[in-house]
This record gives sequence, C-alpha cells and structure tokens, in this order.
Amino acid sequence: MPENAGIGLRAQHHLHVVSESPQTAWFEAHSENYFADGGSHVECLSRIRACYPLSLHGVGLSLGSTDPLNREHLANLRRVVARFEPALVSEHLSWSSVGGRFANDLLPLPYTEEAVRHVSSRIAQVQDALGRQILLENVSSYLEYTSSTLTEWEFIAGVAAESGCGILLDLNNIYVAAHNHGFACHEYLQGIPRDIVQEFHLAGHSRIDLGGRELLIDTHGSPVCDAVWDVYGAALQRFGNVATLIEWDTDIPAFDVLWAEARKADSVRNAQHAVAA
Amino acid sequence: MPSLRELQFNVMDALLAGSPECALALIARPSEAASRLGVYRNNVQSNFQDALRSSFPAIWRLVGEDYFRQAARGFQHRRPSRSGDLLHAGRLFPEYLAELHGADAFSYLADVARLEWLIQEALLAADRAPLDLQSLAGVAPFAYDALRFEVHPSLRLFESRYPAVRIWEANLGSDAEPETIHLESGGDRLAVMRYRLQLKFHQLSFGEHSFLDSLGRGDSFAAAVDRGAESDPAFDASAALQRFVAVEAIVDFHIQTEEGH
Repeated sequence: MPENAGIGLRAQHHLHVVSESPQTAWFEAHSENYFADGGSHVECLSRIRACYPLSLHGVGLSLGSTDPLNREHLANLRRVVARFEPALVSEHLSWSSVGGRFANDLLPLPYTEEAVRHVSSRIAQVQDALGRQILLENVSSYLEYTSSTLTEWEFIAGVAAESGCGILLDLNNIYVAAHNHGFACHEYLQGIPRDIVQEFHLAGHSRIDLGGRELLIDTHGSPVCDAVWDVYGAALQRFGNVATLIEWDTDIPAFDVLWAEARKADSVRNAQHAVAA
Repeated sequence: MPSLRELQFNVMDALLAGSPECALALIARPSEAASRLGVYRNNVQSNFQDALRSSFPAIWRLVGEDYFRQAARGFQHRRPSRSGDLLHAGRLFPEYLAELHGADAFSYLADVARLEWLIQEALLAADRAPLDLQSLAGVAPFAYDALRFEVHPSLRLFESRYPAVRIWEANLGSDAEPETIHLESGGDRLAVMRYRLQLKFHQLSFGEHSFLDSLGRGDSFAAAVDRGAESDPAFDASAALQRFVAVEAIVDFHIQTEEGH
C-alpha cells in the first residue's frame, strides 16, 4: 500500500471518482457492497480498481459467532477477492449473528481464552478459504462483559499470535473504547506487538448522554477529532508508517472533505518524520 | 461463567426479541448495563430500518418516516435478518405489508413494495452480452421447435391491479409534492429489467407476459409460444421475439437435441 492516506469508498462518490480520477493514494471498499453478480456498483469498482490500489473491508462475516461460518458469505467474499485482487483484505473482531439470526451490528466478544481460541480457528478457516492472510480490526464497544479475563489488547494480540492474521488498528475505535471503559489509549498501543499492524483507520465519533454518563459512539459521521489525531501520532511513533485510511459512513459529505482529511493525515505523518529525522 | 455460545444467545435475545434479563446479568457496571445494551439495540434497529429504507425508498416516502420505522420494527421482530448482508433483509417486507394492509385502503403499498424489491434484484443481477441476431438467423426453420431461449438474469415480471410504476416514479424525489394518482386508473403488467446499467420497464400484453414467464421457467420456445397464444389469441410470437431480443430481455438460445429430452 502507498504511504499516503487512502479513502473509504462509498457509493455516493463512485461517479465522482470514476469521472474525475481524484489524486488519492488508494481506496478501501466494503466487501459486501460488491457481492452482486453485476450492475453499476460492481462496474464502478472494476473501473476504480483499474486505476487505484484497493483494500476490501468486510462488515458481515460475523467472525466471532459460534454458528458455523456462513458458507455462502464466504464464497461471495472469495469471489470479490478474486475479482478485484485487493492488496489487503480485512474483517472485524466481533460477532453479529447466532442461531441463524443476524443483528447486523459489530458486537463485542468477551475477552476470554475460549474466545481467543474460537476466533483464531475461524480466522484460520477464512485464511484457508481465501488462500491469503487477512487483517483483523478492533471494534468500538459500549459495554464490557463480566466474564472477560483479558484486556482488549491482550485479546487481539492473542488472536493474532494464534491465527497468524495481521491487525488493522482503528485508532478512533481505540479512543472510543478507552473513553467508554476507562483505560488509556497508550496502554492499548503498547500492548500490540509492533510488527503485526498493517493498517490504521481514522474516523469521527459522536457523544451521547446516558443519564449523566457520557458515552462515545462510533458514528463515522464527522471529522477526525484532535484527540484521535494525537493517538495517530503516537501510533505512527510505535508502528512506523502504516497504511492509513479515512472513513466516513453517516451524513457522508462531498468527496473533497474526505480528500482534505486524507491530506491532513499525510501532513501529520510528514511532521512526525521531520521530528524523527 | 456462561459459554461463549450461551452469551451470544442471551445478547441476541436482548437485541432482537426484547428480552434483556439474561444478557443484563453478563454485563459489567450493573447500574449502566441496561443503557449500554440499549445503545446496541438502537443500532440494530436503525441499521435494519435504514437498510429497508434504501430497498424501499418510495414506501418510505408514501407512509412517512414514523410509520415506516414502526412497520420496520414489527417486521424485524417477525422476520429478523438471516444474512450478514442487509440488502437481503427486505425480501419478505412486501408480504408483511400485505398482511398489515391487504384488506384496507392501503393495499397498494404491498404492490409498490413488491415492485421496489424486483427493481433492487434487477439492479444487482449479473450482466450479460446481447444476443447475436446473425446466429439466430442461421437456425433452420425445422429446428424452431427445439429452440430454448435464455432471458436476461435481471428480468423480473410484475403485475398489479394498481398503477404501481406511476406511484413509484412519483415518490422517488424528496422535494416537490407528488402528483395525485388515482388508484383505479389502470394496473401494471410489465417486465422490470436492466439494460446494460439502466433500469427499464416494458409494458406487456397478456400474451407477452405468459410468453416471457414461460421462457424464464426454461420452457422450450414452442411451449412458450403456446402459453402466449393461450392467454392472448392475438399473440404474435415473431413480433414478441423481435421485441425482446431488441431490448435484450432475451440474451441467448440453445437448440435442444433429441437426446436432451
């Protein structure tokens, strides 16, 4: 992946990207949005793929579920990976279904040895089916389970060690979880081994009031906040130059707004370089 | 300590079935557990409702946001998503609207919803190259009875006693007050399909409808012509064939050999 920041591709921007060919280092698309057999979305992504490096990011595989892996979903994923030949393929460290019912949301797992073993075996199945390594992304969370015996960073590092997957660190999600559960972002970053992080995500969040307690919600509907830019700086320091992506999913603005966020990420990285040199 | 599977069942019951008791006992910070779980419940409902909205934009506009969300909640309770891809969540929503409104003044809603679902299917179907007319011209007349045509993967047939397409078209935008459409101003019988990347509607006669329906089921050309003629004595098979090849509703043909039977 190029050094400069990429942008999360959303359908609203398909035509702009196809017709204007903006200067963007790379794009990341949600795998499920291109599961269709044909039609305009698939056509647009084929054209965009011809001009830019691509990453595919899945939201629906339900990796952490204790149901058998959904074969149809996995077959579709294999098909889009074969079709678009992405440089990176990622999924979420979460579950979204059980007993055949889907919540279609990224639900947190309990951080236990049982869950480490379970998720690792599932990742191994996916990596075998795709014939390649996948990256696993940490999710935002709003609750913790009493049964957790590991910290989130111990859990994610354990899964990576056991399954051989890489890590996609969503720095906004770390910030959101740190606020909601009361830990320090730097503690999280220190707990992740240096050599397994292959991608960063940056996005905005929002705040809600739960009867006197403020919770951060991972809405992806606003610019990256200053505190998360600071986490980005700290992450660059620890993990070096890692492929960085700007995401925006609700109230999606004009492409130029995302483009400016990507430029800002580049300048944060360059400033870091200058200091290091 | 619950197993991972028990925990997941308890949380899913809280999110989808509205029975949070077991899940609450699993969540840290007891005084905040209900509101923290509530954040997920809201997300799960709004993700589902937003997905239905993008599958059924005209229904959203026709019934308004409040009623749409209420109907979507009822539907999600009855038919929770069975797929990791929310695009599929609304497959039975037209049926659900028919259950709610099949017998009242809003019975047209289910038909418009059925149309919107077929439109979504058509937009996502596979691409196909058009039929090469030259190759069809090369088929000897005696072989016509053994011909089998293939329809475009996006082709869907739609019938309604209401002017569903006009209602749908009038409710796509968000700004202007839509035109007044009289429900009894004539129904629809049409093919919904994609031509290259564009959505197309083709109004059909009774005969054409039966003919395409038969081809779509894999019947031979001869059988499809019979079906067309049965439902419409004026059905003109060669005109229909030309029409549907020209609009790329028919995209390929095969000659069924004797051994094939």
